Order: sequence, then C-alpha cells, then structure tokens
Amino acid sequence: MNWALIVTIVFYALALLHSCLGFFRKRQIFVSLALCMVGVGFLFHTVYLVGLGLERRHFPITDLPESLSFFAWSITLTFIAAHIRYRYNVLGAFVLPLVSLLMILSEVAWEENHAIPPLLRSRWLYFHVSVAFLAYAGFFLMFIAALLYLMQEKELKSKRFRFLYFRLPALQACDELMRNSLFVGFVMMSLTIVTGAFWAQQAWGRFWSWDPKETASLVTWSIYLLLVHYRLSGGWRARRAAYVSIAGFVSMIITFGVNAGLHAYL
Amino acid sequence: MSDLVLIGLNHRTAEVERRERAALPSADVPGALTELTARPGIQEALILSTCNRVEVVSRVDGADPAFEILESFLAEVSGLPRNELSESLYRYAGSEAVEHVFRVASSLDSMILGEPQILGQVKSAYSLAVETGSSGTLLNNLFQAAFRVAKRVRTETSIGEYSVSVSSAAVELARKVLGNLGRKTILIVGAGEMGENTARYLADDGAGSIYVTNRGAEAAAGLASRFGGIAVPFDQLRYWLAHVDIVIVSTAAPNLIIDRSMVTSALRTRRNRPIVFIDMSVPRNVDPAVSDIENAFCYDIDDLGAVVEANLEERRGAAALAEKLVRQESEAFWARVKSMDAAPMVVEVRRRIEEVCQSELDRYLKRNGPRDPKEMKELEILVSRIAGKMSHPLVTQIKSAHEDPTHERALLTVVSRLFRSHKDPA
Repeated sequence: MNWALIVTIVFYALALLHSCLGFFRKRQIFVSLALCMVGVGFLFHTVYLVGLGLERRHFPITDLPESLSFFAWSITLTFIAAHIRYRYNVLGAFVLPLVSLLMILSEVAWEENHAIPPLLRSRWLYFHVSVAFLAYAGFFLMFIAALLYLMQEKELKSKRFRFLYFRLPALQACDELMRNSLFVGFVMMSLTIVTGAFWAQQAWGRFWSWDPKETASLVTWSIYLLLVHYRLSGGWRARRAAYVSIAGFVSMIITFGVNAGLHAYL
Repeated sequence: MSDLVLIGLNHRTAEVERRERAALPSADVPGALTELTARPGIQEALILSTCNRVEVVSRVDGADPAFEILESFLAEVSGLPRNELSESLYRYAGSEAVEHVFRVASSLDSMILGEPQILGQVKSAYSLAVETGSSGTLLNNLFQAAFRVAKRVRTETSIGEYSVSVSSAAVELARKVLGNLGRKTILIVGAGEMGENTARYLADDGAGSIYVTNRGAEAAAGLASRFGGIAVPFDQLRYWLAHVDIVIVSTAAPNLIIDRSMVTSALRTRRNRPIVFIDMSVPRNVDPAVSDIENAFCYDIDDLGAVVEANLEERRGAAALAEKLVRQESEAFWARVKSMDAAPMVVEVRRRIEEVCQSELDRYLKRNGPRDPKEMKELEILVSRIAGKMSHPLVTQIKSAHEDPTHERALLTVVSRLFRSHKDPA
C-alpha cells in the first residue's frame, strides 16, 4: 500500500504549496486548487489507511508511522470540515505544514508489519483511539485559530495595516473557530478518557491507574475544561482564551508523546 | 483598409471645469453619433462621456485626417474652443486605442484606481451606440472583449477589494474585528456628517439596528428618522455602550465623551463581546487609552486614513498585475483583428499567383502537346512550388504589417495594387 502513501504525500505537499501561494499572493484560484488537492489527497489517504488495516488485519494505529499517518488523517478531516463550515482561505497555509510533515515522518519511519500485543486486539481500540486523535486534531485547529487571532489582534491594535491585516480572517471569525474546535476537541477528549477507563477496567480490572499517559491527559483535559468553563461564562474570550489554548496545545503534545507505563506500545 | 482611432480627455489632461464643458449628456449622444457616422470616412463610432472623461472611439476608413475629423466633431458638439480642446486631448490609434479602451473598462485609468462604476458607464455608452446603429463589427468585438477583460481583471486581481474612502475604511475595520456585520448593532454619537456617511455604509453592509444619540435631541431624532434608526437620550450613553457592537462618534465637542472606565464597565456588562469605536471627531471624543482594553478597538480619523493609504498601496500592487493582463489581451485582440483584415488580401495574392502559374502551364501544354502522367505530375509540382515560394514572403509581410504601423498602409496599398486582378478596372 506504500504507493498510496506516496501519492497522498505528493497531493498534500502540492496543496501546501498552493495554499502558501494563495496566502502570499492573495489569489483565490490557488486556494481553490489547494482545496481540490487536499480532497484528492484525503481520498488516497483513506484508501491507504483502509488498505493498510486490511493487509495488517488491525486498526492501523499500533506503531509510530501508523499513528502519525492517522493523526494527519484526523487533522485533514477537521480541516476539511472547518473549511466547509467557515471558508477561511488562509487556514490551509497554517494547517497543511503539519499534515505534510506528519506524512513525511510516517513514510520515513515506515515499518514492516509486526505482531501487536494481544491487548490491542480489542474492539475498544477503534473507538478509544479514533476519538483520541479527533480530539488532538480539534485542539490543533484551535491552536491555529488562536495563533491567527493573536496575529490579527496585534495588527488591529497596533494600527499599522500591513501584510497580515489584509490576509488573516476577522477576529470574531478566529474566535468562533477557536470556540467550536474547543468544544469538539473537548467532547472527543472526554470520550477518550471515558472509553479508556472502561477498557482499562476490562483489561486490567481497574478504571484508572495513574500511568503517565493517563495523568498527562487528565492535565490536558483540565486545561481545556477551564477554557470551556470560562468560555461559557463569558469571562475569557479572545486573547486570554488564545493564550490558554496555546498552553493546552503544549500539554496535548506532551500527552501525545508520553507512551510509558501501561500505554507503552509504540 | 480600416483603422481604429480614439481621442479623448480625462481627469489627467483636463481640469474639471473643462471636462464639465466637454461632457455630453447621454440624451444628446444618439444624435451626435448619427451625425458623426455621416461624416466621410467614419464607419463606426462610440461616445463615452462621464464626469471624468469624454472619449470618442471610431473605425475610420483609411482616411488620413481621422483625428482631424474627430477633433472638429468634438469641438462642435462640446462647444469647447478648438485650441483648448486640442491641448487636452490624447490621441490613440490601432493597438494603443484597444489598450486604452481595455484600461478604461478595467478601471485602470480611473481617478480612483479600481472604482467599479466605470464599467457600468462603458456598458451604457456601448448600448447607446448599438441602439443608434453606429457600432459595427469592430466596435462590437472591441467592447465585448473589453467587458471580458474587465471581468478578468476583477476576478484575477484584487484591485477592487480594498476600500479607499474614509467611511468605507471604517466599515472595513469593523468587519475585520466583528466579521460579518449582519445583526450587529450600531450607536451613532453626534449628528456629524461623517458619522452619518459611515452609518449609511454600515447599513448598506447589512448591519442591524441603528441607535442615534446627540446632546441636542432634535438632531438625533432627525438623523434617526433618515435611517429608520432609534433616537436614544444622551444621558443613557453608558447603558447603550453595553448593548451595541459599533460606536461611531462624530461630534463637535472639544472634550472626551467616552473614557476608559465607561468602556471597561460596558465590556463587563456585555461579557467581553468585542466593541469597535470609530472616532471621527477632531478633537477626539474617545479616550485613545480605550485601545489598551482587551476586546475594545478604537480608531480615530488618522487610523482610518492609514487604512485608506494601505489599501491604495495594495491596489497599486494589484494594478501592476492588471496592467500586464490588459496589455496581453489588447495585443492579442489587435493581432486577431489584423489577421481578419488581412485574410481577403492573402487569399487574393495567393489566387493571383496561382492563376498566373497555372495559365503559363496551360499555355506550355497547349504548345508542346500533352505529356505522360509522370512528367505531368512533375510539372504540376514544379509550378505549385514556384507559386508557394512566391506567395509565402508576401503573405508573411501582409500578416505582420500591423507590427509596423508607420509603413503598414503603404505596404498594403502597394501589395493590393500589384496584385489587382486583370479583370478589375485599374
């Protein structure tokens, strides 16, 4: 199935190139082309993941390259959804670099099929891990929206109207994307923790064991819980929410990276 | 042999006073067009008359004093003295005239670069010419192409995207903060004219309710009635700040009307939903320190000026791209016109040469008796090769004649004389 992976990478990279051209030169045609390429890339990506899963007879998120590729797939999925909902032309130029990077890393780190621990041959895997990755993707999108917000706010407050002022979406638009990706990410992350707890109960007889990944995800989840709380109460929007969401994103990266204790599979 | 010529004056070549006198009311245009096309050598004509330009475009029939005819015509209909008119006129012929028409339609020649009205004005000038019957194949093709080019410029460059008036800059800023302005509420403080203009732009952009407040309640009520807005008492300003998204301040008051503490408490009440202040008053009525408050955005008249300046800069950038596009399109258009023009002459030249060769071959065969098929074939090939070799350089010259406008007419006249068929009366 490696050819599908290569085709996917090529399409994502071309989409990235066109998104950047669209961003710098402010030409709609490049943005539209980029979106077509993302769409085609995403199709090949899906074909690749399904093919890989059938070939290896497991959900393809059990080793590092598989996870990276699945993460990229989740981000692309949320990106496409966000684009359909909001139509911000600049999003691609900010989201696609990570997608392309993840795909290239996945290709470089390519591993032949190997036996997976019997523990992972569980139906829980599908649900637990897919919602986890969707949560990560949602938080990543929120992180991007926060960056866009902070950059545009700086332009608007400094009153010097330059390059970014003309290209970035309206503040309120960034804020809305931040809010909605926060809610999606938060719901997904909550589901991840709950399904993880049930799976742990079945596998090891305990709901919660304080292993490093569990602890890290609880910290990340708390940060986002705080954000959701203040968001709903109206106290933190905009700049403060943007800063906290960047902190949450860092915490999320750590959560993603910690694979010790009971979660030591990769 | 026909050519395209254009004369005109615009905001760059003539003062407004002179433009006013030269302008032709659209009711007079059909009559003027009929009169113009009746003059010798004028085959098609179109008049474009707006407040910034008066132009006459025409297809002329080889007549050399083409500019002369158009100029005296324009002097007659406009009532401008001939010498005053002459010093303000620009004169273009051929591909330059095409390029000028394309630039005008694409708003690259406008006083405010990229302003969108000009295309509509060109379109109505064209329909007047079509209705009058003064527009023929060349002008029809030219203006259809101009509309297409103008559309390309709009869609492929960002020339029309940036607002360049102070009022529309205010709307643009509000939109950069608040996004879509639908259902956003506006408070106008003071009954100044700038405030009114800006509110009108906002209302055109789909903004929701408009509230007006002023120290003098009557002026507020008057302004409110013009927008279908609601006048609110001036001493309730604090309350209203908490309930609107955009505040436009335009008063003659010499002191601050809105200060930091008012905005801070308003934001608390509105749970930090962002609020935009557009302060158009001089001296300023909104404390500049309001800008430092999170979720409050405050712009004074200089900031609006900076937006306009930045927008003009972006437009100029886009215009460079648009100019390139227009140049390519006008060259392509003119080459097409010329090759269509040259087509009958090319056919005629080829036909004449082949005719001569063929008749010589026939005479030879008649005198020397028939040949066997192989020899016959060779003779035919020989003759057609001679015909081809002779006509090729001539055809190339005819087709590329338009590239050298100074000698074009002379060359084409010579060629048509040399190859005039014997049957024609010379």
